[in-house]
Amino acid sequence: MSNLLEVRGIDTFIGQFHILEEVSLTVPEGAIVALLGRNGAGKTTTLKSILGLTPPRSGQVIFAGEEIQGLPSYEIAAMGVGYVPEHRAIFRDLSVYENLKLAERKKSDLARKEAMIFELFPDLKRLIKLGGANLSGGQQQMLALARALVPDNRLLLIDEPTEGLAPVIIEAMMEAIRRLAATTTILLVEQNFLVAGQLAESYVIVDEGRVVQTGVMADLLDDDAAIRRYLGAG
Amino acid sequence: MTASTRPGTRSARPQVTRPSWWRAYWAMLLLLLALIALPFVLGLLEGATVGDVLANEAGRSKFMQGLLIEVFLLGLYALSYDLILGVTGLLSFGHAMFFAVGAYTTGILLKSAGWPFGVTVVAVIVAGVLQALLFGVVLLRVSGITFALVTLGLASVFEILIKSREFADFTGADVGLQGIPKPDFLNPSAERLRLYFIILAVTVLVYLFYRRFVNSPPGRVCIAIRENEDRARMLGYNTFRFKLLALIIAGITAAVAGMFYAIYNPIVSPEVTGLGYTVDALLIILIGGMGTLSGALIGAGVFRLLDFYLLKWFGENAAFLLGAIYVALVIFVPYGIVGTWQRRSVAWRRAWRARSGKQ
Repeated sequence: MSNLLEVRGIDTFIGQFHILEEVSLTVPEGAIVALLGRNGAGKTTTLKSILGLTPPRSGQVIFAGEEIQGLPSYEIAAMGVGYVPEHRAIFRDLSVYENLKLAERKKSDLARKEAMIFELFPDLKRLIKLGGANLSGGQQQMLALARALVPDNRLLLIDEPTEGLAPVIIEAMMEAIRRLAATTTILLVEQNFLVAGQLAESYVIVDEGRVVQTGVMADLLDDDAAIRRYLGAG
Repeated sequence: MTASTRPGTRSARPQVTRPSWWRAYWAMLLLLLALIALPFVLGLLEGATVGDVLANEAGRSKFMQGLLIEVFLLGLYALSYDLILGVTGLLSFGHAMFFAVGAYTTGILLKSAGWPFGVTVVAVIVAGVLQALLFGVVLLRVSGITFALVTLGLASVFEILIKSREFADFTGADVGLQGIPKPDFLNPSAERLRLYFIILAVTVLVYLFYRRFVNSPPGRVCIAIRENEDRARMLGYNTFRFKLLALIIAGITAAVAGMFYAIYNPIVSPEVTGLGYTVDALLIILIGGMGTLSGALIGAGVFRLLDFYLLKWFGENAAFLLGAIYVALVIFVPYGIVGTWQRRSVAWRRAWRARSGKQ
């Protein structure tokens, strides 16, 4: 299996703070890789470094064989990298429809994908005309994920998709991510270890800006020491 | 059938944000009809005939046309500010320059260079684009409050140049630019009624264009940028291009408003280059409702007419009253006249539907 994404020893600074040190990880084509760690460990910064939102100062980011570090974010996105930011990052001033429409990279994207999107999230079809600000938290998170499904993305970076959601909605999100994985490679940041454990085949743990452990998810599930130490969960 | 089944067609837009044209425009349409009828109605009330009004006889009608021309020009100017601040979220403290460049380009080209009016119009539009590009260069480097301060700096340089003695022959320095030869067919006195209708028509067309733009895909990107630029970028949009587009549209609009200002007024006052004039634009869209577009036009009307009538009725106390009214507006109409109206009318409609049992 070839690697769709390779991060090689990136260092990222925010202001004077050295947030990421020598972070390396690989995401094989077609896989779901979980990026785990405590709050403030550097998970979100890793995603943002890949996307060029907080460009790494050194190191390489290789997507589909091309170096993308230093490229502007919109070019990286246009290469087929989708991003679902944390905190239900939709456009609240636009309607559900406009949010989806805005995510198109080609004119026909939404027309091709809407059946699939509405099957995954029937709520969105019902609420299509509603303004983003009027959606519930769960609906906003569905919309944020749905927006990433509109264009043909090869790689999706998903940040905390189940944060603060009710269990029934978490189920729906997990089902959506599973379905997505059939066509798309996914790097998933997830605090909820139960969710990450069920979805991902492999994992990367970051702690204090460094990669401290990587491996196959099945092994981590048995590794209570590592879970307690790095994830603070039992 | 949901709206989304026919993407790409215009009618496919959701109703909440894009109601049918009647619901969107009825108020503006009535206002427009009133503005068309007003010069004649005022004349008839005064005992003048339609012929007198058409012949631009002096009187209340002609005076009111002049006052409304000022409102329209302020409206165009505020509309352009609303596009970059209210819609796209770019805070510029140099917007007065966008207007003043149009006014001074017109004055200098007509007076000192002796250019024909048609060529001057083209030059004004080019100047509008160029100043937008200048601001765009700034925007490449800085954003947020830094952008506001750099634009303030650029506008201040322009103000200093306009007021400097060295260029007094062209700009009139701090006295103002006087004696601009006006094209006969737009003479602000002899052809006031025609000028009134031309500027009214330009205002309506620009407003409709702005509405169209904001509802178009690039306009939606501008709204997205206002909300969160990084998110828009992560959807694959080169956000700089859209911000530059908004600046160019605003730059042309404000320059054209400035051009008509130079034609209508006997003197181009250097006041229009100052920070105070940018604050006027800000005040107008705050009064009218930021990001609503129509609020810029309504706000301009309230702003200019309040200013005029308070001064007329209360003289020296006008400034105090004006301040009190603005404070009251901010407290009781927090989203501006149009913005608050839109929010309320949604709530009213919902209450109405609940009462009639339709859910």
